[in-house]
Amino acid sequence: MNGPDLLLPVIIGLPFVAAALALAGGRVVGRRIGVVMPLAAATSFLLALRLAGLPSAHEPPLFRYDWIPALQIGFTLRGDGFGLFFALLISGIGVLVGVYALAYLSDLGGSRLGRFYAALAAFMGAMLGVALADDLILLFVFWEMTSLTSFVLIGFWYEQDIARRGAVTALLVTALGGLAMAAGFVLVGQVTGTYSISGLVASPDLRQTLGSSPLFLPALLLVLLGAFTKSAQVPFHFWLPGAMVAPTPVSTYLHAATMVKAGIFLLGRMLPIFGTADAWFPIVTTIGLATLCLGNYRAFRETDLKGLLAFTTVGALGLVTMVYGLRAADLDALQILSHATYKGALFLVVGIVEHAAHSRNLRDIGGLRTRLPITFTIAVLAGLSMAGWPPLLGFLAKESLYAELLDNAALGTLTGLRPAVIAAVVVANAFLFGATCKLIFGVFFGPLRVAARDGDHHDDGESPGLWLPPAILVLLALGLGLGGLTSTTEQLVSRFSSDPHAHLHVGLIPTHLGPLVLSMVTTALGVALYVGRGVVDGWQRSLAVLPSMQSVWDHGIEGVTAFATGYSRRWQNGSLHQYFSVILASTTGLTVFALLRGGLVFRATPMGFDNLTWYGLALAGLLLGAVYAVVTATTRLAAALALTAVGFMVALVFVVYRSPDIVLTQILIETVSTIFVLLVLYFMPVFRPHVPSAGVRAWNRGLSVAVGLVMFGLIVLCTSPGFRETRNLGQDYLARSLTDAGGQNAVNVIIVDFRAMDTQGEITVLVVVGLCIFGLLRARRSVSE
Amino acid sequence: MIDSPVLRTATRFAVPITVAISLVIFWQGHNLPGGGFIAGVMAGSAGAMYLLAFGLAGAARIAWWRLSVVGLLISVATGAVPFFRGFTFMDHGILDFHVPILGHQHVPTATFFDLGVYLIVLGTLMTIFVELGLEER
Repeated sequence: MNGPDLLLPVIIGLPFVAAALALAGGRVVGRRIGVVMPLAAATSFLLALRLAGLPSAHEPPLFRYDWIPALQIGFTLRGDGFGLFFALLISGIGVLVGVYALAYLSDLGGSRLGRFYAALAAFMGAMLGVALADDLILLFVFWEMTSLTSFVLIGFWYEQDIARRGAVTALLVTALGGLAMAAGFVLVGQVTGTYSISGLVASPDLRQTLGSSPLFLPALLLVLLGAFTKSAQVPFHFWLPGAMVAPTPVSTYLHAATMVKAGIFLLGRMLPIFGTADAWFPIVTTIGLATLCLGNYRAFRETDLKGLLAFTTVGALGLVTMVYGLRAADLDALQILSHATYKGALFLVVGIVEHAAHSRNLRDIGGLRTRLPITFTIAVLAGLSMAGWPPLLGFLAKESLYAELLDNAALGTLTGLRPAVIAAVVVANAFLFGATCKLIFGVFFGPLRVAARDGDHHDDGESPGLWLPPAILVLLALGLGLGGLTSTTEQLVSRFSSDPHAHLHVGLIPTHLGPLVLSMVTTALGVALYVGRGVVDGWQRSLAVLPSMQSVWDHGIEGVTAFATGYSRRWQNGSLHQYFSVILASTTGLTVFALLRGGLVFRATPMGFDNLTWYGLALAGLLLGAVYAVVTATTRLAAALALTAVGFMVALVFVVYRSPDIVLTQILIETVSTIFVLLVLYFMPVFRPHVPSAGVRAWNRGLSVAVGLVMFGLIVLCTSPGFRETRNLGQDYLARSLTDAGGQNAVNVIIVDFRAMDTQGEITVLVVVGLCIFGLLRARRSVSE
Repeated sequence: MIDSPVLRTATRFAVPITVAISLVIFWQGHNLPGGGFIAGVMAGSAGAMYLLAFGLAGAARIAWWRLSVVGLLISVATGAVPFFRGFTFMDHGILDFHVPILGHQHVPTATFFDLGVYLIVLGTLMTIFVELGLEER
């Protein structure tokens, strides 16, 4: 590995270092901690830029570390064009959002701000990991890290019930998809024997093996489930609008620019591996198209600005999914970049508007053109890009999409498919146009309206910390749009596409008539929708009869909770009698089952009475007497003492068998547990002889007899000659105790060395039990005080 | 608490002796009957004796649960050291070293694990004794 290769782990590692610093330092240095995360992001950005600047003929940088070699899992990072494109997007927008958040969260104290930036930086690191991972399992690990950190970020205002619910829903949906994706990855690994993404892409043989395997389709569907949940595709789209309860910088970063694009990114990564499947085109295209239509349609109905942007984001994600479904991977970087620039800018604009007008609902605000002139300019430019107007990047994106739709081979396979898809996309884009108009005209035109403010908020207006980040994004969209005059933009987006052979032709000056006509139709329809928005709104209202996916999901979650509660109530009901019945019955039943299945039957075991001794008989008699005393005791104290007597008798049995360790243990345990029992008995209510019903008594008797018989049988079996010869683990332990573990006491060597992991588990349980007793009793006392 | 001068006097002698024996049993455990678990139980029974004779006042001032947490950390650390040096988790070895007065020492690393067990057993037993003792009827 040489210099550039080693930069890859640095790019990912820096944000995590920043996260640790922010977490620890917020309390100490106050709000100044906010500079750490943007600094780390900027450094990562510059390093990624350095890698992206390498000549494209150069083999991409590759960092390799054997993580779990036994399972072929490697900590492998690879900086190919598509990965670096995402890394640049993530770190670049990370800088802007980090700067913006410092101004946006101006009321927040250092400690809480530190926690915010820690989560944001950790999220960025995880996201960079997703972008650069070249190992499927590593990708999954980073993927889940983005889910967890985004849970913290969405629920940042955790005092609000709605924020907690939005965070939980987002976590459940994306984690569910993540697990499905992991299962899909494991299937791929099982079939091909490798988790290396570039290895799979580069080897036609491996893909051939995968493609002909019966596990191919399940793996594909599972991986798609992961991508669709993360990128809020139908029918999992609902979590994204719900996640808008997050602070606006978080919504910008996670839900417009980066995290939701992880699913898209995964599709781009998987297309070369799974793309040959027949199922790919119909599934991915249909889901993408449905998401595009639904997202833009719903966006038009929204009056909440963030909700509106969230639904247009759903639509845009659907659009890129559809592009992958059409196997037009060369378009991806263009579409993603276009969306990230205008949507990031618009989210940040909404944040400024919310600060100035104290509301983000279109019903409450308007006419902010004069009060927020800079923001207005930014919003208009971003809106033009979203609506797909020249000379902005959005125009190039839309033109190239239409050109692709008119020309795509897959759409030609079925008569009528192409016109239908084009019509759907045009209508969806018209709704997007209409929604853009609603946003721009609603917020900035008309008479000045702001919501009544509660409390004594100081007016932030337009501080540079707030407007500079969106301005940079919009200038990028404008610059790249104008770059369409030369070949700059097309070279850039071709270099960064997931398709290494991409040669995209995008120009600001239209060369073909078809896409231009479609654009004009889109605009005309969009204007019509906006002008007739009153009528359209009425239609949309009357059409909204189906239950939303959100409520379906909520019912599902409620159902699971109700089932779990009912199950616990049934089996954890506090009845000691029931617990023991279940434990004993299943122990006995399973033992008998295992013995029968294992072919171990009770042969006539010769039982010798020749080494019968008088003290053996006496001990047995005493034991039986003590047991009888336990069973017939009428007070708890008597039963406890009789039980102790049984224990000491058992210790004597071990004396007979010359086992000093066990004798010692038995005696001490009996002593200590007697103290325990006496301590506990002190708090027990008075023993009242309780006569159970005849059925219960019959069950008790039957169970007792069964347990006794099975235990007796087991002992007879274990001591029978044949059994001892075949399975003598003890001899093995005794032989190896001194040589392997340097101890002569085999009992102790087994506990601390041979079976140390078992002991580790047991002592951990012991500690937990101790802490639980401590916590429960203390808590109970503090309540009663 | 049992208010008895006889018990108190006996306990004054019995507790140190029991603790000392528990330490011996712990130390010899690798070769002779004993070990961390049983030594911990023995020390716990000494603690119980002390509680019965002198009451809770002295023992309740100590946060016994911390002892068991420390024990857990020791046992995990014992397992983790070989892991970070490239062996499997809990891969025990034997330390041979020379201490000036005591002479040559032959200590399996499992002894440190056993020390964790000892502390956990003692800590957990005492936690439960003290907390149950503090309960009021």
